[in-house]
Amino acid sequence: MSDAQVDLDAILTEVRERVRRKRERGIYGADVEALLRTDLPGGRRLLSDDMKDPVGALAEALDEDAVYDPTSHKRVVGPLITAARRVLIGLLRWWMAAILDRQERINRLLAATYDVEGRLAPRFGERLARLEREWRQWREHEVAANLHSVYFQARFGGDESVIREQSEQFAGLFAGRKRVLDLGCGRGIFLQLLADRGVGGYGVDMDERMVARCRERGLEAFAQEGLAHLESLPPRSIDGVYARHIAEHVLPGDLVAMLRALRRALQPGAPVVFVTPNAASLSVTGHTFWLDPGHLRPIPPELFSFYLEVEGFTGVAVRTFQPSEERLDENVGDPKVRENVRLLNRTLFGDRDYAVVGYQPDA
Amino acid sequence: MTAVHQFHPVLAPGDAMSDHVFALRARFREWGYASEAYAVEAKPGVDGETRSYRELFRSVRPEDTLVLHFSMGHEVFDELAKLPARRVLVFHNVTPPEFFVGLNPHAAAHARLGIRQLQRLAPSIDLAVGVSEFNRRALEAAGYARTACVPILVDWSRYAIDPDAEVRALLAGIHSKLLFVGRISPNKRQDELIRMLAYYRRCIDPEAILVLVGSHRDQPQYYARLRALADALGVASAVRFTGPVSLPQLVAYYRAASCFVSLSEHEGFGVPLLEAMFLGAPVVALDAAAVGETVDGAAVLLPRKDLAEAAEACALVNEDLGWRAALVDAGHERVRAFDPDRTARRTKDVLGL
Repeated sequence: MSDAQVDLDAILTEVRERVRRKRERGIYGADVEALLRTDLPGGRRLLSDDMKDPVGALAEALDEDAVYDPTSHKRVVGPLITAARRVLIGLLRWWMAAILDRQERINRLLAATYDVEGRLAPRFGERLARLEREWRQWREHEVAANLHSVYFQARFGGDESVIREQSEQFAGLFAGRKRVLDLGCGRGIFLQLLADRGVGGYGVDMDERMVARCRERGLEAFAQEGLAHLESLPPRSIDGVYARHIAEHVLPGDLVAMLRALRRALQPGAPVVFVTPNAASLSVTGHTFWLDPGHLRPIPPELFSFYLEVEGFTGVAVRTFQPSEERLDENVGDPKVRENVRLLNRTLFGDRDYAVVGYQPDA
Repeated sequence: MTAVHQFHPVLAPGDAMSDHVFALRARFREWGYASEAYAVEAKPGVDGETRSYRELFRSVRPEDTLVLHFSMGHEVFDELAKLPARRVLVFHNVTPPEFFVGLNPHAAAHARLGIRQLQRLAPSIDLAVGVSEFNRRALEAAGYARTACVPILVDWSRYAIDPDAEVRALLAGIHSKLLFVGRISPNKRQDELIRMLAYYRRCIDPEAILVLVGSHRDQPQYYARLRALADALGVASAVRFTGPVSLPQLVAYYRAASCFVSLSEHEGFGVPLLEAMFLGAPVVALDAAAVGETVDGAAVLLPRKDLAEAAEACALVNEDLGWRAALVDAGHERVRAFDPDRTARRTKDVLGL
């Protein structure tokens, strides 16, 4: 490196910022992009460019003919040269045809061997890259990953004291444990409850800001994706799991994978608690569940306990809690009407959350 | 008197490779050796003392050193590698054939021949020198046992001349002058520079021009297609193909340029990058082949080919006087590492003279 230093990173950052702004303002739009993609006129693309997408280019090349123009543009001798070339081409035609025939056979056989024509359309690499980009974007849009989660938490995330109150009923289950995992630990409310009771625990959350807030409170937490963390754990390395409002954020297959990873990572007898919105209550599935765009699908309590049982957890039980604030008045005289109102209350305005609790079997 | 002779198939005026050969010859003579430059073909206008390679077969003795400069395949190398002398190969790299396929079958065939010949020569070469680390690694990969890296010897005093007044007048008053120097060749990707200019004129400065200095004699087809591309993009009047230029003209182009920009995908060393630095043009270059090590932090090195980013980088170093000054300073500093006396001493050490 030279002594005189230039901050190249700063220059590149500014350059990218300028490109971004021009895209935003529509100065660098599709028309300019098309200019930048203009092929070199007058012949094929450069082979060196085709080499960047060899499969797509090969599929195109297989259908091309070799073109040769024997015309010479030299003055005076030009027509003579052209005539001579034509004669030569005429003389060589039969020999060339034999070679071309053989080459054609080889090309077609090779193409069939690698299934180039059947499977891969032209510019395969480019199209694959576009698909990957769109898929990634779809995944992000599906859960509104671009939403400012801090604002979201402030508006819909729930009051800390309410969450603490809800969580408190489960803290007792982990008494005397040494290493309890709080999956999706958020601000660390449950971790704090554990710590207050002398229970050893740590948290994992995908949101780094949440992890930072846990650490500020002196709690142990890591920023990682839940399933990846569970799969990285050594066998029997934790003795309890509390996962509040995680299951509704993952696909069913991922949830099952998490349970399997837990069966490996938990010590015998360790409790497992999953808290999730109560899908048996219609005001939840019809309204409150969808207040979080990151929610994928409601999980009925029967299904969740079934998942745990099938994966081998024992003592599986469901507890509902968090009664709805809005309920129909059950103080009616007619016992028949009262029964109906109760049924309606259960169905429409049942408890908003439930927990499914299970245990890692002994030995 | 022991001799240190050099050979390259073609010696031509205004060619960085040939200049290197002549600069080395002066040094060898200074150190008390007999030294001549031999070629198969000496182009018109080249140094009058250039000798025909045939003389080598008569004059070389076992105690002599024969320096073979390799940048293309040529059957004469096979013959020269049998001569009883210490044989040193200086590798200037060979452009990979895939750049020429479909454009210039002759050049593609030569490139293939060159790559095969480089491997074939390995056992008969005593010492192989790359003019960049990139080239030295290529030598190792080609099977050379003893390798070293010594940069090209550039005589910077040659550039201390008055720039051509006509060129200066021609470029005066134009705000954005993008410059690239190098023969017109598909590996140097002048087509990408033309596309980049289209962005520049649409999104930055509608008056911007691109000056492409370099001979197009060896690549007539690529040159014709470049012109057609400029037409298709509506920038034909803004792309100036100068063809080969005199040294005062070259100096004038560098001195007037808003920036020197390279999107070349294959360079064994890249003398124009250093020329631009020496003459005070900020450099924007795609990080490819030996480019990164030649500029070594004294240029805006583009990690990926994105034409919009390349154009914005050119605009930035043209407009932001602070960064421009920092880059120009860094460039001057970088060129000092290629001080000819220092390179000469290194050559002497490596060749054991």
